[in-house]
Amino acid sequence: MKKTIFIDGMAVAFDGEKTVLQIARENGIYIPTLCYHPKLGPAGMCRVCVVEVDGMRALQTSCSLMATDGMRIQTASPGVIEARKMVVNLLLANGNHDCLSCEVNGDCELQDAAYHLGIERPAFLVEEQAERDTSAAFIMRDPNKCILCGRCIEGCNRMVVNEVLDFGLRGGHTKVICDADVPMGQSTCVQCGECVQLCPVGALIDKKGIGQARAWEVEKVRTTCPYCGVGCQLELHVKGDQIIRVTGIDGAQPNQGHLCVKGRYGYDFIYSDDRLTTPLIREADGFREATWDEALDLVADKFSQIIAESGPDAIAGVSCARSTNEDSYNMQKLMRGVIGTNNIDHCART
Amino acid sequence: MREGNQENVESIIEKYPKKESAALPVMQLIQEENGNQLDAAGVEEAARALGMSKSRIYGIATYYTMFNTRPVGKYHLQVDTCVPGFLHGADEIVKHLEQTLGISVGETTADDLFTLSTVQDLASCATGPVIQVNDRYFENMTIEKTDELIEALRQGKEPDNDTSMTVVSECGILLNDRTQADCRTLDFYKRNGGYQALAKALSMQPADIVNEVKDAQIRGRGGAGFPAGAKWSFLPKDDPRPVYLICNADEGEPGTFKDRQIMEFNPHLVIEGIAISAYAIGAAQAFIYIRGEFTWIADILEAAIEAAKADGQLDHVDIIVHRGAGSYVCGEETALIESIEGKRGNPRSKPPFPANIGLYGCPTVVNNVETLASVPYIVRHGAETFKQIGIPNNYGPKIFGVSGHVNTPGVFEYPLGTPLKTILDAAGGVKGKMKGVIVGGLSVPILTAAEAEGLSLDYDSCQKAGTSLGSGGIIVVNDSVSIPELALRTIEFYHHESCGQCVPCREGSLVVESKLRALVEGRGTREDIDLVLQLCGTIRGLTLCPTGEAFSMPIQAMVTKFRPEFEALIQQ
Repeated sequence: MKKTIFIDGMAVAFDGEKTVLQIARENGIYIPTLCYHPKLGPAGMCRVCVVEVDGMRALQTSCSLMATDGMRIQTASPGVIEARKMVVNLLLANGNHDCLSCEVNGDCELQDAAYHLGIERPAFLVEEQAERDTSAAFIMRDPNKCILCGRCIEGCNRMVVNEVLDFGLRGGHTKVICDADVPMGQSTCVQCGECVQLCPVGALIDKKGIGQARAWEVEKVRTTCPYCGVGCQLELHVKGDQIIRVTGIDGAQPNQGHLCVKGRYGYDFIYSDDRLTTPLIREADGFREATWDEALDLVADKFSQIIAESGPDAIAGVSCARSTNEDSYNMQKLMRGVIGTNNIDHCART
Repeated sequence: MREGNQENVESIIEKYPKKESAALPVMQLIQEENGNQLDAAGVEEAARALGMSKSRIYGIATYYTMFNTRPVGKYHLQVDTCVPGFLHGADEIVKHLEQTLGISVGETTADDLFTLSTVQDLASCATGPVIQVNDRYFENMTIEKTDELIEALRQGKEPDNDTSMTVVSECGILLNDRTQADCRTLDFYKRNGGYQALAKALSMQPADIVNEVKDAQIRGRGGAGFPAGAKWSFLPKDDPRPVYLICNADEGEPGTFKDRQIMEFNPHLVIEGIAISAYAIGAAQAFIYIRGEFTWIADILEAAIEAAKADGQLDHVDIIVHRGAGSYVCGEETALIESIEGKRGNPRSKPPFPANIGLYGCPTVVNNVETLASVPYIVRHGAETFKQIGIPNNYGPKIFGVSGHVNTPGVFEYPLGTPLKTILDAAGGVKGKMKGVIVGGLSVPILTAAEAEGLSLDYDSCQKAGTSLGSGGIIVVNDSVSIPELALRTIEFYHHESCGQCVPCREGSLVVESKLRALVEGRGTREDIDLVLQLCGTIRGLTLCPTGEAFSMPIQAMVTKFRPEFEALIQQ
């Protein structure tokens, strides 16, 4: 059954169980959010997505408010704007929100909210500084930019279940901790980078991309991760012919935006001078370049020769973890049906 | 795992419906057995025993104030400097200890004997100043008694605690005769009619008990004043999930120290109230969530539960005494539920409400100690008799705690609707000239002396007067007190206790504190005063739980009603 809510006087129809925020987004109405992420669901913590609802005394967080038929919502009443401005100003009041040099300038939800609310500079300041954590291989943590939305923690515990991040301390001292509050580089973190991808601001940064490009300079190229048979969907953020960073594609199968440390950060090999561009055949002390036909013929000849001399069981096949199930199936078919041996295994087992 | 711990840990875990609920007690045990410290090895030990991540254990350990992740001296001296303690002279005790021990707050003496800390509210408001030494309270402290205490501790002795204060019970329902040595025993309780209400209740239909409590119109004594019977009736009917009853004994509202009077001296009244209420709502498992600092009261309750069990009173319900670990916000019912589930005490967004999705996702009722302690009287004598006490819409007895500038602070059990003047007279009258009074715990707006004139202590009259009866913790402030300093002390408490989840509370309390501190220290401006008022006005109603309101309203009232005092602090 179609139901209707009225957003700023405009009738909007919707189906099923939805939050006010979901309906607003589906209809192109901007409501700022910071702690909400579609993948993680409502958290109700930042309070920046509040709206006014006819018949309700207090402002309501639209991320958690279920829409009911006939509900009347104001997204820009003076009370709503004042509350949102205060929330954003409070977040800007301490820390280090310097957009000029920030890696995520142009791709920051706090910046978007401030822009939307017309906040040019913080209304008041209470300076408190904490140290950056640069100890980890691929991720830099800057607590001065952290707004404690908890998205990284939810991602770490609920999505990838690495259980490294959590909130430590309390109140104004609250911070995101790794294990028992050790630097990330000394923790059990496997650097999957899920937290970086979920961070709405510049508190978690891919180290490899620092200083390489602004958000608007990169072109995003969708591709499939080359590392294993899972086939994770990812986006290469490319400037010129350089990869600046890699992100998983939210909502795409099979990985729903998650990546592992290799898929997200292990892309340097494509620039390696050692990378093979043609088959090489060993001759004397070195290698010489060859065509695929020549190389494959040579392999086939050698196999035939071995089988003739020592029988098919002198040959064994090991399938690679980077191959798909289908490739591995074909590999065993080749060994059993063509070579004539049961010597077939997989590198993950060895 | 250290030798011998394994067995204890397992027996703790076994007590709970879910393993993770054992987090706080297991961590408490590990800390206790490791010289009052939960170090990295302790965190790892707890994580392993509970099957939880290290970050989660460390997150819990640093959320609650009673876990020491850094080493402390053999005697951890913790002086309560929150508002009631401040009014009773706690700051002088701190200064004296700093001089005597040659250390500052937060430091440990070179011989590792003493660590000095200031803490926020130990619920000993009438018996302040109070020093908590490890887990023991020393109340009614003076400079001389502090010297004696330090000397005794140096010799490895622990002096007796002086708990003396005024206790008056006009109603005689909640407070018993604590001068009797056996006042907390089962015998004493039964001799005075105890457990007869439970026997009567068990012969009634549960629905009839709910109706009786509804008819009595008893309003929740925790602070919100919400009708307890109505709360019970929100539980879903014919639901296959288990129902839980939680007795909220987290008593942390500054100015409030009433629940401990019932639990410490009349524990069976609380247990009988829980037993009846659990039967009425169909709960086979009940919890008493008691604030962690009340270790000896938790022991008293556990002993009383054992005695009641042995007497066959608790065949229908199991009661677990669950000790908190130092957090004001855990007095909020959803934070309390999270805490029992072995998490940081962060309040949940409502809805859903606990009546539908509470502890372990099951229907749950959370009632205050004093509310549950009133249930036996209602069941035994009937709603109509209960309603003879108090005034319409505000029925029953209420324990008022009076602290601050009165001559004989203490607890006073009077009917709701008793004039404030009567209670203050019972507390020996105001010391000096009254400047203002906070009647419902620190979270409610202060009344000026003129506004408090003729006030009746009931929910409706207090609301009409622009404040709230809250928990009935009355804090009297005389004209020797600077209201800006009081305001700073107030916001320090909430900033310290904010759970840190939502922005308006976490960052708002920080900014308000910093601006009030600037004013008190003579660095403030007129704009700071306006900013404080503007923030308080916007924070109200914007936070995830009532804590935002709990500081924005009282601060707003102090600044608005005593603005000239704040303006006088601005350097021209």
